[in-house]
Amino acid sequence: MTTPIAALTRRELLRLARNPAAIFTSLLIPILYLTLFGQGFSKLAGGGGLVLPPGYFLSSPNFYSNFAIGMVGFVAVTGTLFTGANVIFDKLFGIFKRIAASPASSAEVFGSRVLAGSVQPTLLAFFVLGLAILLGHLGIPSLSGLDITQSVTALGVVEMVAAVLLLSAMFAGLFVAFGFALTQPQSYFAAVNTINLPVLFTSNALYPWGSMPTWLQDVASYNPVSLAVNVMRENFFGTNYYAYPPYIYLAGLAAWTVGMFLVATLIAARTLAPKA
Amino acid sequence: MTDPIVADNLVKVYNGKIRAVDGVSFSVKEGELFGFLGPNGAGKTTTVQMLTANLRPTGGQGRTAGLDVSEKPGEVKRRIGLVFQESTADGDLTGRENLQLQAALYSVPTAEARQRIDSLLARMQISDSADRPVKTYSGGMRRRLELAVGIVHSPKILFLDEPTLGLDPQGRAGFWRYIQELRKELGLTVFLTTHYLDEADNLCDRLAIIDHGKIVATGTPSQLKDNLGGDVVTVRVKDPGRDLSELFRGVPGVLSVQVQEGDYRAKCKNGETIVPLLVETASRSGVTVTGISLKRPSLDEVFLEYTGREFREEEGPNATDMAVRIGQVRRGMGRG
Repeated sequence: MTTPIAALTRRELLRLARNPAAIFTSLLIPILYLTLFGQGFSKLAGGGGLVLPPGYFLSSPNFYSNFAIGMVGFVAVTGTLFTGANVIFDKLFGIFKRIAASPASSAEVFGSRVLAGSVQPTLLAFFVLGLAILLGHLGIPSLSGLDITQSVTALGVVEMVAAVLLLSAMFAGLFVAFGFALTQPQSYFAAVNTINLPVLFTSNALYPWGSMPTWLQDVASYNPVSLAVNVMRENFFGTNYYAYPPYIYLAGLAAWTVGMFLVATLIAARTLAPKA
Repeated sequence: MTDPIVADNLVKVYNGKIRAVDGVSFSVKEGELFGFLGPNGAGKTTTVQMLTANLRPTGGQGRTAGLDVSEKPGEVKRRIGLVFQESTADGDLTGRENLQLQAALYSVPTAEARQRIDSLLARMQISDSADRPVKTYSGGMRRRLELAVGIVHSPKILFLDEPTLGLDPQGRAGFWRYIQELRKELGLTVFLTTHYLDEADNLCDRLAIIDHGKIVATGTPSQLKDNLGGDVVTVRVKDPGRDLSELFRGVPGVLSVQVQEGDYRAKCKNGETIVPLLVETASRSGVTVTGISLKRPSLDEVFLEYTGREFREEEGPNATDMAVRIGQVRRGMGRG
């Protein structure tokens, strides 16, 4: 028997697979960041002989390597932006009505959205990682790429996959909850941007640690995006300059995800319960 | 045995002030096709939403499949089928995928679901299009798919909320042929809301007429019409130079006669047996009958009788309906 959660997740993935324009756009944005935006900064901040204090990029060997891992965290978050919008479109087109009228539980409906919503950003995150590594191996002198400075263990791979999954699932959960609670795409995107940009800009995903003011470093230390990229950077570049080993950051990220899920499932249950 | 659908003084008040459903009571017997007839905004969909456990009643009790809709919403949902007035199929998925999704939502075992889906696709004559995205379907195909989706889990009770809205007469006739076949085959109990008078008249075993949230009449279509006092035979004659009312009143079976714009309107039971008697009476008096018509009381007249106004089939949503819809959209579900 196909379970409701499996069937609902399959539906989401089928819809995604049948929308090549959305897939193309989701790939194009990180490609532009890695091949243009990141390259534009690489010489200014440590990639071109500029002498910077030790630990300026924490353990990352240069700006681009630091940035590339930051981009993995970045797409793990931004790849979830549409998950809640799809809920709103389902409401507008009547499909949500049928799902809400079925005996599927709110946990199943919510869980399937989060599962499907986490798959795309996770795949995207590893696409970014692969592309950044590839750029470093093309042998083009003026093109920066990701320099991995230590061998990655099997445990490290597990930690990194878990970090990306947790980060994607956390934001997918939050945005799906927004989708349940709101009715108009305009209000949804306004709400999402209120969360999305502050979260990314208060993390250490895109900035070198040494360039951040102390207050921003303090905020970034607890930011879930920072926790996820810390797990990856420690596994790729070593643990120097980090306060904790990767599993501690991973535990912090898991706590964030669980907390966010509690809030999100409450919103989902409220929306899917018979209206008072 | 408990009737499959029972409404006992059901009340729904929106935003603390709009009484969309105001003390509605009725019961639907097993195997019956029960119609809920009323104009837009009368409270039909709100009643369906409560009886299908998608909307919590403000007062009273609803029991569907023997279960209290407020206490066991999940179980109620599992035991019923529901066809909405608008399309709820996913246009990006194929017809078959939509049916597979619905079967999974109701936990139908995979092998059984496969068999049932094939059979439903064939019955609804959409087998050839089963693997095409639903967005390429015609309106009639989409309605047939909606029906298949509503019954893929083999419910014994089916709610149809204005299922033929927007279909042309041919499409409506086809849709109802499927419903009648399924009823016969599966012994379905069907609860239908409609504002098509002919649909209610021709198809329903019993009807309730709802207006402004209250039931104003219940009965079989024939009972409701018979309660009006019978058929009306209108006789037009070549000017006889005298009044024939008394002669016509003397015809056995004629209840009353009125003269309206020179025509005689005879109210009677079994109008078809009275027609020849009226013609014969006129002829015997040397009066030539130039025209005669028999009109059975229609549900339109029934509605007029009980509400004091004519039924407007294509009226727009009224103020109550709009207020209710705005409230629903704000709450995020868009239930119409």
